[in-house]
Amino acid sequence: MSVLQHLPLGRFIEAASRGSRQTKQTVQVSFIVMLLMAAMALFSAKVNAEVPNAVPPEGSYSGIHVEQPIEFPHDTHADINEINCMYCHTYARRSKVAGIPPTSKCMGCHSVIATDKPRIQKLTEYWENKQPPLWNKVHDVPDFVHFTHEKHIKRFVIDNEDLEVENVSEVCAFCHGEVKKMTVADKVKPLTMGFCQRCHQANDGPSDCWHCHK
Amino acid sequence: MSFSKIKRRDFLKIMGWGGVGATLVGCDLPTTVTLEEGKEKVVSYLMPEEYVIPGVGVWYASTCQQCPSGCGIHGRVREGRVLKLEGNPASSVNKGRLCQMGQASLQAHYNPDRIAKPKIRRGSSLVDATWEEAYGLIAEKTANISGSKFAWMTGSVSGHQSVLLQAYLESIGSGNHFVHETINNAVWAKVCQDMLGDSNPRIRLDKAQSMLSFGADFLGTWGSPLHFSTEYAKFRTSPRGTLIQVEPNMTLTGANADLWVASRPGSEGALALGIANQLVSKQGLSMSGLPNSVQSLIRSYTLDETVTATGVDADRIADIAATLKRRSPSVVLAGASAQGHEHGYQCVAAAMVLNVILGNIGKTIESNGEFAYASMAPVSGNTHSLVSFSQAAADKRFDVVFFSGVNPVYTAPKSLGLKESLANIPFKVVFSHFNDETTAMADVVLPLASTEEDWGTHVAPYQAGVGEISIQQPLMEPLSTETRGFGDIVLTLLKKRKETAYEGFADYYAYLRNAFSTIPAEHKNGASDEQFWTDVLAAGLIDVGVKKTSLKVKGVEFDMPKEMGNSSAMILAPSARLGFWDGRHANLPWLQEAPDQISKVVWDSWAELHPSTAKKIGVKEGDMVKIASASGEINVKVYIYKGVHPDVIAVPLGQGHDAGFSRYAKDRGVNSLSILDPKVDKMTGELALYSTNVKVTKAAKTDDVLVRFGGSETQVGRKLVSTIPADVYERTEGGDHVA
Ligand code: SF4
Repeated sequence: MSVLQHLPLGRFIEAASRGSRQTKQTVQVSFIVMLLMAAMALFSAKVNAEVPNAVPPEGSYSGIHVEQPIEFPHDTHADINEINCMYCHTYARRSKVAGIPPTSKCMGCHSVIATDKPRIQKLTEYWENKQPPLWNKVHDVPDFVHFTHEKHIKRFVIDNEDLEVENVSEVCAFCHGEVKKMTVADKVKPLTMGFCQRCHQANDGPSDCWHCHK
Repeated sequence: MSFSKIKRRDFLKIMGWGGVGATLVGCDLPTTVTLEEGKEKVVSYLMPEEYVIPGVGVWYASTCQQCPSGCGIHGRVREGRVLKLEGNPASSVNKGRLCQMGQASLQAHYNPDRIAKPKIRRGSSLVDATWEEAYGLIAEKTANISGSKFAWMTGSVSGHQSVLLQAYLESIGSGNHFVHETINNAVWAKVCQDMLGDSNPRIRLDKAQSMLSFGADFLGTWGSPLHFSTEYAKFRTSPRGTLIQVEPNMTLTGANADLWVASRPGSEGALALGIANQLVSKQGLSMSGLPNSVQSLIRSYTLDETVTATGVDADRIADIAATLKRRSPSVVLAGASAQGHEHGYQCVAAAMVLNVILGNIGKTIESNGEFAYASMAPVSGNTHSLVSFSQAAADKRFDVVFFSGVNPVYTAPKSLGLKESLANIPFKVVFSHFNDETTAMADVVLPLASTEEDWGTHVAPYQAGVGEISIQQPLMEPLSTETRGFGDIVLTLLKKRKETAYEGFADYYAYLRNAFSTIPAEHKNGASDEQFWTDVLAAGLIDVGVKKTSLKVKGVEFDMPKEMGNSSAMILAPSARLGFWDGRHANLPWLQEAPDQISKVVWDSWAELHPSTAKKIGVKEGDMVKIASASGEINVKVYIYKGVHPDVIAVPLGQGHDAGFSRYAKDRGVNSLSILDPKVDKMTGELALYSTNVKVTKAAKTDDVLVRFGGSETQVGRKLVSTIPADVYERTEGGDHVA
């Protein structure tokens, strides 16, 4: 039997990247900017804190540099402007995938911020053509590995009472490295099974095969 | 970095680590299957709906189209892809269940062999074309056609697709709608119509205490399999109902029966009359409601007479009668193997007579009411249409024929000569998802959107006292931009015929949306039009009720040919399975891979033979036999099985497709329909599927083995099910409890 994770709204599926029969409401730019301000205030970052109640996984990797359609500067966002990782990667705590932020989210700020920059103009062009950029995937695990962001964020962030949520980037860094010092992200952690296993052992994570191989 | 790039030195270094963490060493090798960075794309949403979270599925309601039963489904959609189907619990048809064919619908949708572009015949081959070319050609060929020269053959159809289809036929002035399904209840429906005044009565398995089924495989292919599975579960619980199944070869339902009786095909009617005789003469029931001729027919089927006509033991016949009387109310059903004879109508009528004598009418057989909107009501297919269409084609009656939802070149026995007569039809348009035996003969092939991509409304042919319209909505965007929904195509065809009534509708969605706006307010529960539509889509269905009707038992006279039961020739049983159905699903690997419910064979055809018959012919399991009828022959491997009448060779339907029908079905097994004789039931004109005499001989063995899942019919001493003879049981432990 199916467990309905969501009440089906019943409409034609309206994910805008697949076209829609419904008219889209226009993005309430000012509202979103306000939200962003509020979020920034909430998530004002502290730098370089240790993650309490956790042993970071060991290991490093030197991945190839992957070009992206827009050279997205993580440093500008997460470091200089101290935007919390989970502000844009909002699905990380709700789903197995962290998700690339929807283009509408980018435009929420960039309809008014830095509109003179070439990268933003390129982004605006995507938005106006109703085509999200095709990003190149940097972090990937094989199809037989069931990795879920949600469980990891729960363990290290949400259930971790001693962690200030401002420091969530330190948790992300376990597997993604110091992304806030990068422009586009590079793969700097091996993400091999041994890497996962050692971390699970150090942090009392589950070690049954089926937790990851379903 | 791939495995091959690990240098010898690195390898030695890795090996050198030894001891510490040795168990994890392998886990740190960059695996050869890890996808490298930058090789895949990630696409974000442009602007997501608030309820959409990547990685988390959203379920949408729709309707299964894998067989005509019309079950409601829920499809799990993630990141714009439909990943899994389940039954819709709100649907009264299947109450949340989904059968294996329904599950495999995803494989039809994602099938690599789907037709992706319209095709037009140029000389001997079909070549890719544009929709405009295809529509243009159809418009040209139908421009001045007279109605009698046009025909449309479809499978069972209902809802707004049926409305548009009828509108198209009307626009041409044609009444030639042939509705064809090989697996059908057409004779049962006719008998019910004649004897009860209702072709589709409601069967209350839940109220019955016992059931006698003449080949009605209601857990597999009879009526509405998922609906009756649920009803059957009720029938089997407190108190547990008794199921007696009479059929030439064991079906899934037969395998569940308390008593399974092998019948020689054609003798079912005689057996029913013999049981009726026992009920009247030994069990004190009355047959006064029946016409005199039927009464005397029953009187003539004395126990001795019935034993001679059927070969069933006298004790058994008396026992069945006594059980039905004792465990009342009962219900008597008849299905494919009872109706598949030249006197099929009589066999089914004799079964229905039992219901009358047992007083089941009004108790376990009730009126189902009538669907309120006649134009959307289900039109169920039959094989009579196939026979008459073949004749009409042979008589060169048609100039233009459309085919949709059917593959008659596969389902028609070769003896009907359909394939040859199709050459007499100058212009044939086939709507299809796949290339098959019929598209191969087409002049234009129109590629259809899959069930998961299309809009539609469906009215299930069997509903238990409700009138639900089930919604079919797209679960994802079409995989190909060049396929079209059935409704969209017919709407366009109507527009091309300058039918002004349809000009306002941009597409079939707009047409349906409008249709739901015009539904009477009483069905809308006070909701606004938009809210009502959203509610219907979310629920997947709307119950618009039924007009109450009642059953009226009418005396119907019939006779029973005496000699049917005892001829000694072997008979071919082309039995159907919930799996390949009539062969339409042989291209779905999941269904090829799923072991047959009875024989456990995978990816192949087989012939079921009784051990005694196999011995006579001199074959063992896996040997080839040649099955020859007056109309052709097939060679197939043998599966030896006690659940088949010694005079019968059963070859289940589904395989033996031409190479064109997908990479998965090609060169696999045989089509048992192909060698049937062109006999029909004299009363209804339905193909007599269980009446072809065949000669079975040993054929040269091939290297091919018969691949079966599992293996042995015995418990090999493992005591999986412990048994003990009744007398020992009585003597040693349970004596007191035995009645
Ligand atoms: S019984 Fe028919 S309609 Fe129902 S799930 Fe199975 S294939 Fe689909």
